Amino acid sequence: MTQPAILVEDLTYSYGQNLAVDHINFCMDEGEILGFLGPNGAGKSTTVKMLTGQLRPQAGRATLLGLDVARQPKQVQAQIGICFEVTNLYEEMSGVENLTLFARLFGARDFDAGALLKRVGLDGRGTDKVERYSKGMKQRLMIARALVNHPKILFLDEPTEGLDPTSAQAIRALILEERERGATIFLTTHDMHEADILCNRVAFIERGKIVALDTPHALKQAHGKRMVRAQIARPDGGLEVREILLDRPETAEEIQKMFAGEQVITLHSTEATLEDIFVRITGRGLA
Amino acid sequence: MNARMLLALLRKDLKVYFANRFFALVTVLGLVAYTIMFFLLPTTVDETLELGIYMAQMPPALEALLADEEVVFYRAESEAALRQAVLDGEIPAGYAFPDDTLARLRAGERLPVTLYLSPELPPDFDGIYAMVLDEFGFALSGQTLDIAATEVTLGPDMAGQQIAPRQRMLPLLTVFILMIECLGLASLISTEIESGTLRALLVTPLTLGGLFAAKGIFGTGFAFAQASLLMLITGGFRTQPVLIATALLLGAVMVTGVAFLIASVGKDLMSVMGWGVLGMLLLALPSFSVLIPGLTTQWVKAIPSYYLVDTVYRVMNHAAGWGDVIGNLLALVVAAAVLMAAGIAVLQRKFR
Repeated sequence: MTQPAILVEDLTYSYGQNLAVDHINFCMDEGEILGFLGPNGAGKSTTVKMLTGQLRPQAGRATLLGLDVARQPKQVQAQIGICFEVTNLYEEMSGVENLTLFARLFGARDFDAGALLKRVGLDGRGTDKVERYSKGMKQRLMIARALVNHPKILFLDEPTEGLDPTSAQAIRALILEERERGATIFLTTHDMHEADILCNRVAFIERGKIVALDTPHALKQAHGKRMVRAQIARPDGGLEVREILLDRPETAEEIQKMFAGEQVITLHSTEATLEDIFVRITGRGLA
Repeated sequence: MNARMLLALLRKDLKVYFANRFFALVTVLGLVAYTIMFFLLPTTVDETLELGIYMAQMPPALEALLADEEVVFYRAESEAALRQAVLDGEIPAGYAFPDDTLARLRAGERLPVTLYLSPELPPDFDGIYAMVLDEFGFALSGQTLDIAATEVTLGPDMAGQQIAPRQRMLPLLTVFILMIECLGLASLISTEIESGTLRALLVTPLTLGGLFAAKGIFGTGFAFAQASLLMLITGGFRTQPVLIATALLLGAVMVTGVAFLIASVGKDLMSVMGWGVLGMLLLALPSFSVLIPGLTTQWVKAIPSYYLVDTVYRVMNHAAGWGDVIGNLLALVVAAAVLMAAGIAVLQRKFR
């Protein structure tokens, strides 16, 4: 049996009386993308800080690639890449200089700044100072920096927040490329659509506890409502929208009757979004 | 931390330091300005003489003489006040006449006079004191008096070895240039904390100890190089270069510790400057006691930079050797170790 890339057992942390992370448990397989979703203050950042060795857990443990992160933080950090939510690049230095600095700190041997910059779409801008980059370019450089050591686990904190659709799409493509390479990706995001299309599984965290953890499909199955939405012509010339829930014994008869007795203009199947499910489970939105 | 990591960090610090135009400018201008200041200061000493006198009852004839003379006289209230005035450098020399001067003159007895001298008076002035004393005799009795003058030099005798103002100023300039580098380092660190770049560095295999080592080497090396350059240009290394360099190195370690302390409380350039100027003034105080003897008292020895200033001053101007300043060097080692340890202890809490 292969060991999990990340194994979290009863991980706990509190800031004074405020319990930020409350005995959470989960594991991630190699090559998996896990979306970690929750509103501000839910405990996402504290969890990431503990998993990356920036905070020492007060209870429980986390092992990454079989290494206890509290006891061997530097060995863990040598094998992970982190893309922070807030841009923290050396703005006075060029893109190449930023990447070279971190490659040296990681002792990366086969490091090629040019190739890495090309991968993130910054070829030709490597010698420019970072202060001249746009927000999207900085974000791509942040991801490139997280990749200098060919990490086995990538932590990405809101990697596409505030980016234009093209830059966001480029970054999503990179994330999928990394998964193809075999990297395990821990993705923190507010963007439910992004989580839906990228993640193998998603975890909802609320007030320090994981309240749901499964594949997006399974969560929708378990918590969403499958239905068809029909537009029907009314005798007065107007349109009536009617929703018919699926998974009921009488559904087939209801649809058959509708087609037989009424003029159906359109008919679409709909399913709940992750956001709907999050609201349903937690009783609050993601803001 | 290996050499490759260390070099990468040092190269980064150098790049980021000089990317800050303010500190890049101050670093270059500071060195140039302090060097120019040194060479603009006079190389010769102003030999205008001021004299002090204490006499319990001043005869009218002597009063008239003191008023007529071009030599500026300072009338002391007591012998102790006269002595203190010489000691404080307010006057270079002073005559203390006994309280029963007039009675002795009437009785034709020998007159014992004490002449208090500053240690830095030129030897050429010796004759002037005897001449002035003869003048006093004529003023008092119309003839040469039998005066037994006792010379008391307060402090080390520097006759014939006056110290030019620029030589006095050099320790102050040294402290200033060290502090400029200290402010630069403090600003560099606080900026890295605020921008989150230090956080990014610390989630790599780089340890906190490695980071402090790199910052310590950068700060100490840079401050030492700047101070050494100033000494090299101004001739400060002419005597005992190894001893002077040792003192500068210890001073550079000390100000690096101060930089860590400032960085731990400063949030941006302005707050770093605010705290830094406070530290700069405090550390510069001992230099003023060299610049203006008697300005400060013994409490100045509580400021660690005193031991740097005193060492540089005495080695350069009094030909002091290792044995003479070993106490200062040990005090500097202790001060540098304490400040560095305190700086690291406080700053690492901020990193976490």
